[in-house]
Amino acid sequence: MAAAAGTLHHEHGAEHHEMSDALYEEVRSHRLLGFTLFLISDCILFSAFIFAYLYLRNTIDHWPPPGIAGPDLLFGALNSIVLFGSGATMHYALDNWKHGNKKLFYRWLGLTLFLGAWFLCGQVYEYTLLFYEQHATWAGSIFGATFFTLTGLHGFHVFVGLIYLSILWWQTSRGTYTQRRFFGLTAGTLYWHFVDVIWVFLFFLFYIF
Amino acid sequence: MQILQAGIEQTLTLFFGIIVFVTACIQTSAEWNKHELEDNVTKILLILMAVGCIEAIGATLGFLGHGGA
Repeated sequence: MAAAAGTLHHEHGAEHHEMSDALYEEVRSHRLLGFTLFLISDCILFSAFIFAYLYLRNTIDHWPPPGIAGPDLLFGALNSIVLFGSGATMHYALDNWKHGNKKLFYRWLGLTLFLGAWFLCGQVYEYTLLFYEQHATWAGSIFGATFFTLTGLHGFHVFVGLIYLSILWWQTSRGTYTQRRFFGLTAGTLYWHFVDVIWVFLFFLFYIF
Repeated sequence: MQILQAGIEQTLTLFFGIIVFVTACIQTSAEWNKHELEDNVTKILLILMAVGCIEAIGATLGFLGHGGA
């Protein structure tokens, strides 16, 4: 009798576990769709600013305006590689989490945070050069208004991403995620890749185009 | 001094740019046969990241941009 009750309890437990897995998958798919829609909405936000920039840029004859040399291409390229590199390290962090290598996960995540912070410091350095050496201000010219607005918006996203990744670090250290259930890490990685990709367009528009 | 700084920036960008580009390509190929929503989004983002590396390397070599404003 006791054995039968034990078996029944075990089966019920297994069924419950299976159901919660199925429920988790359903919730996860909804979360993923929601997060993807959030990324698309962010794309629309950046697109609006980019089109405004292109429109304003076409209203003047010379770009950058006389008296402003524009951002440093070589420094911008190096800073871009730093940010793209952080995307690669974040991808490796997620891969290592999936394979259960927590030690390597923390190393890659730490490197991602370091490179992200490096990129932000590079942005601050670039702003300083533009402000003090070229006297480019947000209100002073179309160049300043568009450059500081768009790169500032992107920099804000990077800053939020750094906080997000720091929270993920804290959550993983507290055991919030398991090797099978780690949607927060997936979302964090997607967000970080998204921030990288936005910079691909901004780098082209402000440094190359 | 500025020439030295530019040289260092170019060297670092080329060295790390190639590494990140190759890494992005390897990561994309590893994701290629996965077809979940996040895998497809990741593939697109990784490909664009590789394009960004080409942009940065091209700018450093003088193929793109104005050779350093």
